[in-house]
Amino acid sequence: MSELMIEATDVSKSFGDVRALDGVSIAVPKGSVLGLLGHNGAGKTTLVNVLTTMLPPTSGEARVAGFDVVHQSYKVRSRIGLTGQFASVDEALSGFDNLVLIARLLGASKRQARDRADELLEQFDLTDAAKRPAKTYSGGMRRRLDLASSLVGRPEVLFLDEPTTGLDPASRLGVWETVEKLVSDGTTVLLTTQYLDEADRLADSITVLSQGKVVAAGTSAELKAQVGQRTVTVTLDSVSEVDTAVEALTGIGMHPVAEGRTITTPVTASRELANVVRALDERGLEPHDIALGEPTLDDVYMALAAA
Amino acid sequence: MATLTWQGSSYLTQVKVLTGRSLRKFVNSPALIFFSILQPVIMLTLFSQIFSSITATANFAPGMTYVNYLLPAILVNTAMQSSLQSGVGLVTDMKDGVIARFRSLPIRLSTILLARNLSDLVRVAGQLLLMITFGVLVYGFNPAGGVLGTLAALGLALVVGWGLSWLFLAIGSWLRNAELMQTIGFLAMFPLMFASSAFVPIQGLPGWLQVVAKVNPLTYAVDAARSLALAQPVTGVIGALTTSLGIAVVCAVIAIRGFRRPL
Ligand SMILES: Nc1ncnc2c1ncn2[C@@H]1O[C@H](COP(=O)(O)OP(=O)(O)O)[C@@H](O)[C@H]1O
Ligand SMILES: [Mg+2]
Repeated sequence: MSELMIEATDVSKSFGDVRALDGVSIAVPKGSVLGLLGHNGAGKTTLVNVLTTMLPPTSGEARVAGFDVVHQSYKVRSRIGLTGQFASVDEALSGFDNLVLIARLLGASKRQARDRADELLEQFDLTDAAKRPAKTYSGGMRRRLDLASSLVGRPEVLFLDEPTTGLDPASRLGVWETVEKLVSDGTTVLLTTQYLDEADRLADSITVLSQGKVVAAGTSAELKAQVGQRTVTVTLDSVSEVDTAVEALTGIGMHPVAEGRTITTPVTASRELANVVRALDERGLEPHDIALGEPTLDDVYMALAAA
Repeated sequence: MATLTWQGSSYLTQVKVLTGRSLRKFVNSPALIFFSILQPVIMLTLFSQIFSSITATANFAPGMTYVNYLLPAILVNTAMQSSLQSGVGLVTDMKDGVIARFRSLPIRLSTILLARNLSDLVRVAGQLLLMITFGVLVYGFNPAGGVLGTLAALGLALVVGWGLSWLFLAIGSWLRNAELMQTIGFLAMFPLMFASSAFVPIQGLPGWLQVVAKVNPLTYAVDAARSLALAQPVTGVIGALTTSLGIAVVCAVIAIRGFRRPL
């Protein structure tokens, strides 16, 4: 087991009567990406705020990069980068000045700060806009500057709270590639998202949060398996064969749904595909096509969030 | 354990860098500069023209020009009004998310407040110097205290503004609402300004206003600044300085407490 860079144990956080986090535990090994998935109000931002020392937990314990978020908050903040849900850049300053400011606060000399700022502006494709006040930036540019700001100190652990919400597809892809690059360099990442494709693509493991509780956790494949729902889609040569086929599948205890000359039926395991083929064969039917559909993370999300 | 890129910055560096940031923001904003110059110029012009005949009344020392009487008061007044901007600026930064960024960095939170306070002090110093220059060149400000007396009055105004800046930083860090602060500030300052010795000698005010003016701390600050600029027997300078210092210390503690609460 490799070193844990984020470790939350039974963390709860209440705002008055609202229990925003209710006994959340997570563990993120070094160099991996945890996707925190959940609808609005699930508690994602609250968890990020607790882990980044912005909010003290009501109860429970959390360590980031080996340090306690309550008692060693300074050490935690020295090792993390945070891109919050809402852009936090200084609008009146240029992109360059924003980055230099942060580098200086982190302890860089003037020279080092300027070099680091140039490097990041280049990396985030902001060189042309470097000297303009950030208030003239587009939403995507502002997001990129915000992300760059959180990377100035080359953090060991990066927290991204809905990093691509509200971005156009090209900017989204840009953020994804940045995250992948960082991870390949050994950075540990916790990202929250409402998008399944994002979690699916970036995250090594996914934690689904609902009303402040972890309702599911595992790799994307494990989550899909946990839901169990897969579907077999049978396409027949002609509509006239549909009734027979439906009868055959109902006969072996399935619940097929017909539409045109295709029939879909939920199965619980992939070996049931063989049963479908056998049942059809017994009636003398030779399907045009037969396919086993993977459950999407969408199915997982729906099933869990509904539960 | 991986090594950190940088080892963190000292308290002093943090204050310096953050103060520089606020000043740069000010310099970057021509509109802000324009209005902070315009405001005292307007005040000086309006009051010196409207009230200039007052010097003919019995409460004025013979030979005293109104601008000599008025300008030290306006120094204190402007410093006081600008101090409100410390609190408003802090709250605006909180709303804009800049403070959220700073809070995620390994820096001491008090440096953010200190930097705000210092950068406003520098800004007000510039504003007051400009006002004095304007007063000398346009309205013939020529107080008996000379350059030294005028600088002493300016210094006193700055100390008062510095103390009040902490007061508004304290209010801002607890209230966290810029509009409300503006309103409260305006409502509080208007009567403070007029029910004082700033524009006319207290003896010239109606009886009940005299009572108010005599308990108004601004009266004492204005009298102290005036006594320095006009080379009169020095009154209340120690009082103004120690009161400002007291306000600063108490309010700084309250401000830091309020600011530590999560956003
Ligand atoms: N500062 C706060 N005061 C009161 N309630 C809050 C505060 N922050 C969050 N909440 C509540 O906590 C719950 C979780 O919020 P949040 O963590 O922002 O969810 P998410 O980021 O997943 O959308 C919501 O019900 C929200 O209204
Ligand atoms: Mg959120």
